[in-house]
Amino acid sequence: MARRDPRRLSRRQFALLGTQVAAAVVTVLLGIPIVGFLISPLFRREQAVWRQVGDIAGVPDRQPTKFEVAFPLGEWTNANVNLAVYVVKINADYRVFSNVCTHMQCPVRWEDGLRQFLCPCHGGLYDMTGNNVGGPPPKPLPQYVHRIDGTTLFIQNRFTESI
Amino acid sequence: MGRIAAAYNWFDERTAIRSLIRKGLYEAVPVRGAWFYTLGSATLVLILLQLITGIFLTLLYVPSVTEAWASLHYLSQHDAFGSIVRGIHLWSAYILLFVIGLHMVRTFFSGSYKRPRELNWVTGVGLFVLVLAMAITGAFLPWDQAAYWTAVVVTNIAVYTPFIGSFLRALWRGADTVGPTTLSRTFGIHVWLIPAILFPLIGAHLALLRKHGEFGSYVNYRGAYRSREGVDVPPAPKQRPIEPPYPAVPTDELWAAPLETEDFYPHQTFKDGVVSAALVILVFILAVAIGAPLEAIADPATTSYTPVPEWFFLPLDELLLLVPQQLIPLVLVLPTGGVLLLLALPFIDRDPERNPFERPAVMVPGAFAVLFVVILTLLGSGRLFNL
Repeated sequence: MARRDPRRLSRRQFALLGTQVAAAVVTVLLGIPIVGFLISPLFRREQAVWRQVGDIAGVPDRQPTKFEVAFPLGEWTNANVNLAVYVVKINADYRVFSNVCTHMQCPVRWEDGLRQFLCPCHGGLYDMTGNNVGGPPPKPLPQYVHRIDGTTLFIQNRFTESI
Repeated sequence: MGRIAAAYNWFDERTAIRSLIRKGLYEAVPVRGAWFYTLGSATLVLILLQLITGIFLTLLYVPSVTEAWASLHYLSQHDAFGSIVRGIHLWSAYILLFVIGLHMVRTFFSGSYKRPRELNWVTGVGLFVLVLAMAITGAFLPWDQAAYWTAVVVTNIAVYTPFIGSFLRALWRGADTVGPTTLSRTFGIHVWLIPAILFPLIGAHLALLRKHGEFGSYVNYRGAYRSREGVDVPPAPKQRPIEPPYPAVPTDELWAAPLETEDFYPHQTFKDGVVSAALVILVFILAVAIGAPLEAIADPATTSYTPVPEWFFLPLDELLLLVPQQLIPLVLVLPTGGVLLLLALPFIDRDPERNPFERPAVMVPGAFAVLFVVILTLLGSGRLFNL
C-alpha cells in the first residue's frame, strides 16, 4: 500500500467529517428557529391598556371595595378577561390592589371579620395597606398602576412592581 | 398444508414473525412472587388506557382558553359515551399514579435495582417523573376553576428557581400571566412532547426487562446466589435448561437466578390479565358512577373560590404551606433532590444483598421518605377537606 501523507484527509476521514458537518448543519438550522419560537414570548412587549374601573366616590373609608374590570385577554384572542380590583380608601389616599397573592398567585379576598386580606390557598394575610403580615407571602399585595380623573378610577393591566 | 398455515409461512418467511412471537411469549419468568410482577404490566395497561382515551378526547377537546371549558361542558351535556371516555381518562390516571408508586415500592423493597438492572431502575424513575408531569399538565386542560388555579400555582412554583425563576415561569406561561399561550403550550406538552419521550422510554424499560429478566423477590433466591463471605456455596438451583437471561450455571459472584421458572405465556400473562382486567373494571365503574368533574369556567377575578389541589399534588401543597417565606425554594429543592436520590440509588447501594431485612441502611431512609410524603398528604387533606 502506498504511503499516506498524514496531513491529507483519508477517504474515510473525509466521509466522517462530512457526516458530522451535515448533522451539525441540520441541528443548527432546526434549532435556531425552534428555540427562538420557544422563547419569543419572553421578548414580546405586552401592550399597556387603560381601563375604567368606575366611580369611586361611594367607596367607604377603610373598607376595601371590590371592582371587576375587563381587559383584553391578549395574544391572538379577541376575548376579554375579568380582573378583580380592591380599592382601599384611607383618608384621602386611594390604593388599588390586585387579588393576586404574592406567594403562589392564588385569589385573595377581603375578610371583614379578620379586617385582613386572606389567601385561601396557604393562609397568607395582608393588612388593609397591602402589607404581608402573616403566612408565606414574601411581598406586599401587588398594586395596579392607576390614575383618578375626578372620582373616576382608571387602571392599567400591570402592577407597580413585578411579582 | 392448509391455506392459513401457508399464508402464515409466507408472512413468516418475509418478517420472521414466528420467532418474534416465540421470543415475546416463551420467556422464562420466576414462579414465586409472580403476582407482584403484575404491577409492571398493570402500569403499562393503564398508560395504554391513557393513550387510547387521550387520543379519542382530542377528537372533541379544543385547546383554547375560550373553547376548552365549553367543549368539555358540551361533552358532559350532550355525549354520555364521551363523558365515560373522559371519566376513564381521569380515573385511570389516578389509579395509574397509585400503581406506578406500588411498582416502584416493590422494586425498591426487593432490591431489584441492583446490578445488572441499574438502568431498568433509572428508566423507571424517568417514567415515574414523566407520568407525574402528564398528570400535572393534564390537570390544566379543562380550564375550569380547578384547572385554572392549578395552572397558576404550578407554573408559579417555577419562579422560585434561583436566578432563572421568572424566565422559566414565562417560558411555560408564554407570558407573565397565565393566558392563551399557557394552555396551548401545556396542551402540546401533554399530548406530544411528554408522550414522545415517554413511549420510547417504555420501550427501553421493557427491552432492559427482557434482557435481564424479572428479578423477583428475595424468597426466589434464598440460597440461589453465593453468600458474600464465600462460605456455604449453594448448589446450582434446579431449573429447566433455559435460555438467557437466566443462565443455568452461576456466572460470577453476583449471579442470581430464580429457583423455579415457567413460561411467560400463558402463566404470567394469566396473572397480568387478571390484575389488569380488575383495574380496568374498577376504572370503568368509577368513570360511569363518578365521572370526571367540571367546575365553573375559569375566573381570575374570583374572590370566593378556594383552589384545592389535585390529590397527588397535596404533599407539595402542604410543603408550600409549611415552608416559611425565606425558604420557599425548598419546595423545588426537596422534590428535585428526591428524584436525583432515586436516580442515584442503584449506584449508591451496590451491595449484592437483596434481602430487605439485611439492608436497613436503605430500607429505613426509604421508609422515612415514604412516611414523610404520606404525612404531608394526610396533613394537606385534613386541612382542605376537614377530615
